[in-house]
Amino acid sequence: MRRAALPYAIGLFPLGMMVLFFVGPLAFMIVVSFYESDPLGFYKIAFVWENYGKFFSSFYYTISLRSLWSASLGAVLVVLLAFPAMYIIVDMPRRWQLFWVILLLALMCLSEVIIGFAWVIVLSESSGVPKFLGWIGLWENPRSLAPSFGAMMIGYITLGFSLVALMFFPQMAQRDRSIEEAALTLGTPPLQVVTKVILPTFRPAILSSLVTMFVYFLGVYVMPTMLGRPQNWNMTVIITDKAVGDANMPLGAALSVIMLLFTLLVIGALWLASRKGRAS
Amino acid sequence: MTLLKRLFMLTLATGLILPFVIVTGVSINAESNISFPPSALSARWYTVLFSESDWLIPIGNSILIAIIAAFVAVSIALAANYVLWRLQSGYGRAIFALGIGPFMLPPIIIAMGASVFWAEAGLYGRVEATIISHGVFFVTLPLVIIARGFAALSDDVIEASRTMGATPWQTFAKVIFPLVLPYVITGYALVAIISVNEYLISYMVSGFAVETLPIRIFNNVRYGYTPVVASAAICFAALTVGVLLLLSLVTDLLKLLGASRD
Repeated sequence: MRRAALPYAIGLFPLGMMVLFFVGPLAFMIVVSFYESDPLGFYKIAFVWENYGKFFSSFYYTISLRSLWSASLGAVLVVLLAFPAMYIIVDMPRRWQLFWVILLLALMCLSEVIIGFAWVIVLSESSGVPKFLGWIGLWENPRSLAPSFGAMMIGYITLGFSLVALMFFPQMAQRDRSIEEAALTLGTPPLQVVTKVILPTFRPAILSSLVTMFVYFLGVYVMPTMLGRPQNWNMTVIITDKAVGDANMPLGAALSVIMLLFTLLVIGALWLASRKGRAS
Repeated sequence: MTLLKRLFMLTLATGLILPFVIVTGVSINAESNISFPPSALSARWYTVLFSESDWLIPIGNSILIAIIAAFVAVSIALAANYVLWRLQSGYGRAIFALGIGPFMLPPIIIAMGASVFWAEAGLYGRVEATIISHGVFFVTLPLVIIARGFAALSDDVIEASRTMGATPWQTFAKVIFPLVLPYVITGYALVAIISVNEYLISYMVSGFAVETLPIRIFNNVRYGYTPVVASAAICFAALTVGVLLLLSLVTDLLKLLGASRD
């Protein structure tokens, strides 16, 4: 009995930290979402639905649709690029694999701020692609390409690419290559090998990386503000502006709770789908 | 087909690396407006970065936060993994699942939660708040990495140390810990780099009082900037790649990321 008691006691440390500083803040955020905002402090204790009421207006409607659109487009683009890339990388010689893995890890760790800044420079008329196009005579009157929706998408892709590619890595590297080889030697056209053998094998992985990226892009702040125009700004930018800029924490909390519920719904749906997929 | 593959990979590599080549060019340009290619070379922006307190203070803050936050994250991850390994029960799995949580949610929700939580606790705007939040929210990566270390432990060694009369503590300190140490170091290094690079949580928890390097760079880019930003960005990227190269010497990164079965 004593032998088992010790691990339980040790477990209290990670459990306590996660409950106090991860679950606790989320729970308290829900409480604050019912408070009233206080121009002189953070908030006044109250119980009002007013903060949620504000969400149901055409302003937040537009912002929500816009966030959903940019997050889903970003997720699809990232997976479309990262899947074939990783498929090629795992069959490279070890040295090149290591090169790509370090590049991807570096990009995964690198600040959104740095990546965003780098693209601002690359897309600017003074130093980047527009200047180069003007210089070789392809673009007569070069102008900066950022901020724009396209620039923002490029930022999203650079941000998510490394994460998705590294998520595919284990399964791709360990996959049973003999099935593809068998299909090829039996005379199956390469395109059919992709649609009939490779894609079905990776369906769960593709689905979960799509959802992960979608959720991740819902919550990005730096890319839209740095590379997008105000009409491209997503819900995250609005939440941050309300909570920090206008010092209206209850409204920021209410909008975050709505996003949290939506996220849990999406993750729950994925979980159900994957369970059903496994059962059949 | 091979040509197409090569072209695709080359385009991707260019898209991922080119921005940093151009930023490097901007950072070594002697002129004080942003332009590329550089007209005359100079290291003056690097001198500014490492001599003006405008930049030195954020650098110091970022490093302080990263060092302690990574320690917090790794201790939580190590304890959680140890418990899961000792008790393959719902208790261990529940703790593990809690550690995966932060990765599943959009960063803004976590940042907003931390913001109200620290406001209520009276630590809003304090560096301690940022440290703890980073430590708790970046726990997922070391958790998953250290789990690979525990999965690779063979029962024989543990059994041997137990039959030879080692206490659970001795077994942990003398047998388990040395074996999982490479995974612990990798986890520590990754959390430290991610913490140094993080913007949104630092900004929403204590951004106005504790300026970290990403906050400094972001504000600078938003409100008119000089090539110092480029030199800061390059130092950042160099530091990140440097730590990863060091790691690749210490551990087998490919295996760690799951290139082969343990």
